[in-house]
Amino acid sequence: MEEEFERIVREYQDKVFRLALSMLGERAAAEEAAQETLVRVWKGLGGFRAESSLSTWIYSIARNTCLTALRRGRVRTASLDDVAPRREVERRTATGWYGAESPDAAELLKRLPVKYRQVAALFYMQEKSYDEVASMLGLPVGTVKTYLFRARKTLAEDLARERVRKGGA
Amino acid sequence: MACPDFEDLAQGRAGDHAAHCEDCRALLEALADVDATFDAAFAGVAAPPSLAAAVRMRVERETPVRRPSLVPEVLDFIGWAAVLTLAAVLLPQFLPLIHDVIARLS
Repeated sequence: MEEEFERIVREYQDKVFRLALSMLGERAAAEEAAQETLVRVWKGLGGFRAESSLSTWIYSIARNTCLTALRRGRVRTASLDDVAPRREVERRTATGWYGAESPDAAELLKRLPVKYRQVAALFYMQEKSYDEVASMLGLPVGTVKTYLFRARKTLAEDLARERVRKGGA
Repeated sequence: MACPDFEDLAQGRAGDHAAHCEDCRALLEALADVDATFDAAFAGVAAPPSLAAAVRMRVERETPVRRPSLVPEVLDFIGWAAVLTLAAVLLPQFLPLIHDVIARLS
């Protein structure tokens, strides 16, 4: 079982981390959730009956772990309504919301409704695979495509507005 | 609600249409711009190298250490006790016989 678990860690650690990052939006929280997920996988591996595929099982553990973290309030989802002090928001942005290299991209993503944000973040992290994103978030592929089109359209408008604002400033 | 293929079909045909529609061409270009921006920002995001080690450490810590079973020890004890009891019961009965043998030999 230990060899099997080692294989799972190697194969799924990035995917579980990305899924957690797309749901939680913070690298530290995502790392904690990914760690918790893989430990739960270890504990449940002996009882895994393969009624669903291994990936479906692992992703559902990851989603539940993230939802628990969100419910416990360990992670606050970012939105424009966020009342966090500006300095805190800037600190988080500087250390990388969603782990993005570009703070602008992360900032734009933050403005999207949660369901669109998760799909969009995961889509770009997961090499733009609709099927992977659908499987990871437990959504139908059609729903992923619809959310993504709406997210990209909103992001395009925001990106254009941001460029005009910066160009005019 | 359209079927899941609608977005693909719409986008495919939008490409043809955009060739002679400035507004739609602008939207497609804006979407491509979004893809480029977000690809650059998010592609290749990976778990921190410390994750796997941290998981292994927690698994090791949280796996209960199995105590060796006491059953073989108890059976061993019962077996030796039985042998010694049997010896203690039988030895006095054979003692005269042993004395005879020793007397004949000497």
